[in-house]
Amino acid sequence: MANWSDIALATIPAAPLAAAIWCGTVAQVVRRTTAHRPVVLALALSLVAAAYVLFVVVPGSVVDSPAAHSQTTPIETSGESLVKPVSLMASENPASATGEHHGPAHKAYIFEVYRWMSVGGLTVDIVLRADAMTALMLVMVNFVSLLVAIFASSYMHGDKGYPRFFGAMALFVFSMNMLVLAGNFIEVFIFWEAVGLCSYLLIGHWYHKPSAAAAARKAFVVNRIGDFGLMTAIFLIYRTFGSVDFETVLDPTRLAELAAAQPGLITTIALLLLLGAIGKSAQFPLHVWLPDAMEGPTPVSALIHAATMVTAGVYLIARTTPIFVHSPTAQLVVAGVGAITALVAAITALCQYDLKRVLAYSTVSQLGYMFMALGAAAASPALAAHAETFAMFHLLTHAFFKAVLFLAAGSVMHAMGDVIDMRRFSGLRKALPITHITFLCGALALAGFPLLSGFWSKDEILAVVWEATQTGDYKTYFYLILGVGLLTSLLTAFYTFRAYYLTFHGPERFPEEAGHHPHDASPAMAIPLYILAALAVVAGLILGPTHIYAHYIEMTPNFPTAAPAGMNVGMMVLSTILALGGIGLAYTIYGKATRAEYSDARPLNLWENVSLNGLYLDQLYGALIVRPMATLSAVCEFVDRMILDKIVDAVGLIPIIAGGMIRPLQNGLVSSYAAVMLLGVIVALASVLRAIASVT
Amino acid sequence: MTTLVFAMLLLPAIAAVLMLVLDAKATAARARGFALVATVATLILSWSVAYQLPATSQQPGPVTTRWEWRHTWLTLASPAPAPTVVNHEALSPDVARGQSPEESKNPASTSKPQDPSTARSPSGDFINLEFYLGLDGLGMAMILLTTGLCVSAILVSWSEIRERSAEFYAGILILEAGLIGVFLAYDLILFYAFFEFTLLPLFLTIGVWGGPKRRYAAGKFFIYTLAGSLVMLLGLVSLVVETQSLTGISTPFSMPDMARALQDQPLPVETQTILFLLIATGFLIKVPMFPFHTWLPLVHVEAPTAGSVDLAGVLLKLGCYGFLRIAIPMLPDASLTVGQPLVAILAVIGVVYGSLCAYHQTDIKRMVAYSSIAHLGVCMLGLFALNAEGLSGGICMMINHGLATGALFSLVGMIHERYHTRSLTDLGGLASRIPVLSALLVFISFASIGLPGLNGFIGEILSLLGMFQVSAVYAVIGTTGVVLSAWYLLRMVQVGLFGPLREPAGDHSHVSDLTVREGLAIWPLALACLGLGLFPQTLLNLIEPDVKALAVIYQEPDEVIVQKKAAIQPSFAMTSATSIVTSDHAVETISSIQTGERR
Repeated sequence: MANWSDIALATIPAAPLAAAIWCGTVAQVVRRTTAHRPVVLALALSLVAAAYVLFVVVPGSVVDSPAAHSQTTPIETSGESLVKPVSLMASENPASATGEHHGPAHKAYIFEVYRWMSVGGLTVDIVLRADAMTALMLVMVNFVSLLVAIFASSYMHGDKGYPRFFGAMALFVFSMNMLVLAGNFIEVFIFWEAVGLCSYLLIGHWYHKPSAAAAARKAFVVNRIGDFGLMTAIFLIYRTFGSVDFETVLDPTRLAELAAAQPGLITTIALLLLLGAIGKSAQFPLHVWLPDAMEGPTPVSALIHAATMVTAGVYLIARTTPIFVHSPTAQLVVAGVGAITALVAAITALCQYDLKRVLAYSTVSQLGYMFMALGAAAASPALAAHAETFAMFHLLTHAFFKAVLFLAAGSVMHAMGDVIDMRRFSGLRKALPITHITFLCGALALAGFPLLSGFWSKDEILAVVWEATQTGDYKTYFYLILGVGLLTSLLTAFYTFRAYYLTFHGPERFPEEAGHHPHDASPAMAIPLYILAALAVVAGLILGPTHIYAHYIEMTPNFPTAAPAGMNVGMMVLSTILALGGIGLAYTIYGKATRAEYSDARPLNLWENVSLNGLYLDQLYGALIVRPMATLSAVCEFVDRMILDKIVDAVGLIPIIAGGMIRPLQNGLVSSYAAVMLLGVIVALASVLRAIASVT
Repeated sequence: MTTLVFAMLLLPAIAAVLMLVLDAKATAARARGFALVATVATLILSWSVAYQLPATSQQPGPVTTRWEWRHTWLTLASPAPAPTVVNHEALSPDVARGQSPEESKNPASTSKPQDPSTARSPSGDFINLEFYLGLDGLGMAMILLTTGLCVSAILVSWSEIRERSAEFYAGILILEAGLIGVFLAYDLILFYAFFEFTLLPLFLTIGVWGGPKRRYAAGKFFIYTLAGSLVMLLGLVSLVVETQSLTGISTPFSMPDMARALQDQPLPVETQTILFLLIATGFLIKVPMFPFHTWLPLVHVEAPTAGSVDLAGVLLKLGCYGFLRIAIPMLPDASLTVGQPLVAILAVIGVVYGSLCAYHQTDIKRMVAYSSIAHLGVCMLGLFALNAEGLSGGICMMINHGLATGALFSLVGMIHERYHTRSLTDLGGLASRIPVLSALLVFISFASIGLPGLNGFIGEILSLLGMFQVSAVYAVIGTTGVVLSAWYLLRMVQVGLFGPLREPAGDHSHVSDLTVREGLAIWPLALACLGLGLFPQTLLNLIEPDVKALAVIYQEPDEVIVQKKAAIQPSFAMTSATSIVTSDHAVETISSIQTGERR
């Protein structure tokens, strides 16, 4: 008899999957225009189940409580008696051993679905594994998905591929839920790829547009470069640990032993995992796919390419923190990648004219902040808990404010007849009041305006990096990172409000595609906007300074030991000044600017061009990778057709040539045949005679 | 069971003969209807056989037998006992020449005694020639693949083939019988006969019903693979002779008996190496592996759709199957010391090179042909990892590549039937015109790319995972195929299916989406791709005993392998001592860290 926890866990992926199957089959034929209903219903169900997991299942999964034991499915140990039971490993958690932990040790609640494969020493079970970190992700994913689905039901109204869109979206939510619920690395990889597939399908939703088709392929192929790293990491993990289960691999005691014996191995694994995360989370140098991914419908950009899927890389690194803490090298690389990404993306966002691209680059930049935080633990293992907590916290608040920004941008696009170039409209605040106010909430949160969500989470990240500059061997390095973080903070406030002023202020202008009276968001679009805007404003204040979030995520098994968290007031003041400075700078330049200055005609200077073209990275990759590969491919093809195959043909000629050489012997002259025959007879006779001679 | 197996083997052959004898001038409709009934009946029979197949092997040994039927048709007195060395020279000059001087001077250095009096078992007085059929999980899986793909092959030829229909469908049926025969044959001569026999119907299919350059293509295909097979035949005959003279088994053509005898008493490493190289020549051409692959794109471009489906789906796997049946169980030392590095190098070159070539193609069919080279590279990497993960992965890859590539060729054939071109320069944006067919093409492309949840992934990850345990370098290079396959297949999808509609000149108003008949050909394959992706354990359970039996040969302690390497390369002995020390150390380090659950 299944209990409520199992039912809740199973519902989280099952409901969206059922909706996806419905949309993929039945809704293709009938009920096309109401295809969103089962999806919204399924996501609501998943959200309720996720909330149940958050509030009941995870807090109830305590190691020493007998009640928890009775309702927990023990881990199947695949018949190998040598695998340590989970409870034993969890109790060896250093946090509980040193007694610094706040409450009872928690363990993951695991619901086994089925054995996917078992070959040789490799056993892969499809499980639903819930712990604190998973529960937080689940609630965030399902919550944002639900709102985006409601928004999309109005936004996508009348689209030719309406059921296809909702089918892919439900499939995405299913995959994302499974990704965070995964209990082993191969399961992670399966759904890691599955979200990539959904992203591909949704970017290419309007497949008849060549740009969308190209962007979809680019996203998938660039992601695959990251997947190459993740796959190799899995191979190495399996070779090292003989297992791919989280419970076995992420066991801190064994990892510590291994790190002492083979530090290089741990670093290699960590760097390969990082490569996977870089691809999925659009970090430098693989971030180039994300801006192009904006070719997809805007709700997709909000959900997949801002709030959920792109955070999978951050989630992966946070999840594998027990590995990363043993490799300062890898963590330094994580921080460095994050800092470079944050800065490069912020610079690129400065001069974009496409509103969605500004937001896309800001997503890349904010993900860079999360990486920066995750890497800060290189300075001292004591920082690991803070680093992980605040990266995950920024992930949460970012999901809210970035989703509202994208949905508001979608609302702008909807009203402007699918025009998103900020040079072609302005002064929308009167025509689109709902969109304006919600966008403003999101923009303030993103800019780090005091007391809004982004302020709390970004500030905590900067505080962690500050702490990293105070201890350990890498002080200079982290001062550099901190400088980049602060600079990016200024740039973020600037470009966000540049976009805000260009769109909503100035003289009221609409493109001709919009018609004369643009409509503001319909109720189905407005409600999600309001809810997300409200969360963008208050979520940080509720969860951040109260430490609710930090205390909850500490329940994650194998979570690093947490030191008491304090407020870094100096950093708060500094980041407030930077945020206000950026906003003020944007106001002075764009707040009252005349439109003529930003028309198409104005020639851009060098720096603006560099920023607009994303530091020419696409062109650079084109020249350094894409075109050489195409050339190499042409060369291979030529070698294959003109050299290898011709060699084969040449070998095929040997019998013909050989035959041609012997052919003169068969010249048809009886006299020459007779001569040869005579020769033969002589040889035969000679050998016979010799044989007789030897016998006698 | 026996009746069923024989019915399965003979039904397509008899159907083909009946068709040719009674109704050679049949209309296309009658011929294809008859052929469809015959292949569906064979499919049902094969599934009944699979349903009844026992779960475990009847006898121990590297080649497992879960069902067998053997009939001795000739018993010969064995050759008079003679010193083995003489046998070497008399029967297999190649082998004798290959022996190193030290070896012949000092026979004691070989690992096994060569004195015939001790080597021969009492039963060695007679040699039995047999008709020997057998089945194990591997053979069964391949037969199911064959019977399934043949139904699709008939369905996709439905309107493509308009001339000499009876002959065409008879050819496909004969090919099916031949392929089932290969996978049933447990007798080496029978195996070879069926192996070569499959060439004939395919040769005719390509040469008669193929594209404009069909004669050249058919001739090249036939001669190239036949040349390889003849070298292989030399190897097989020498193998039989060597095995018989070394172990004295009474049934020297029986593959399970040979493998068992050679497991107890392996051939000298030098002999194994030469035999391996001879036998591998045939199989490497058949797979085909770089650089023996150039016949493949040509043949695929010229072959009719059904020919391509059967060729890529099953025929190429004969090479892999041959390695699994003969080289890996019977020549373990050579497979490890020579085969593994050789095949791995060719395979990784094939993966990268095949992918690069595939990217440059404008003909979709040619692109799929090159993708086969890359994917079979991954398959061979798995097989020659020679551990349970890799072998399972390689076998999965054989099945999965068969399904996915068979389906891809079918779909490309359907597009060709509609537009009479397969060129990406003429076609574009087909998703707007034929959405269902395009969706299926995207789906199958993803199966081929190795998207988890679809079948391609299983074979890919297990093969590479297996190879990674042996050599990280080969595995990592092989893994680049993951990126490259997405690169070229999604380019085809982007150009061919997405974007604005582009059709070749002419009126195409009659072009329709997937018909019911085409759906019947393609949906089962697509569903099989999904089913195997979600529940790979069904396939893995079927092949598990066979994989275990093979993997156990190679599960030796590391030191033994090092010593064996030292035996063939005297210079290696210098380094071997240090190797043993380091490997011991590594084993200790790792085992102290892990809980030892791997073994």
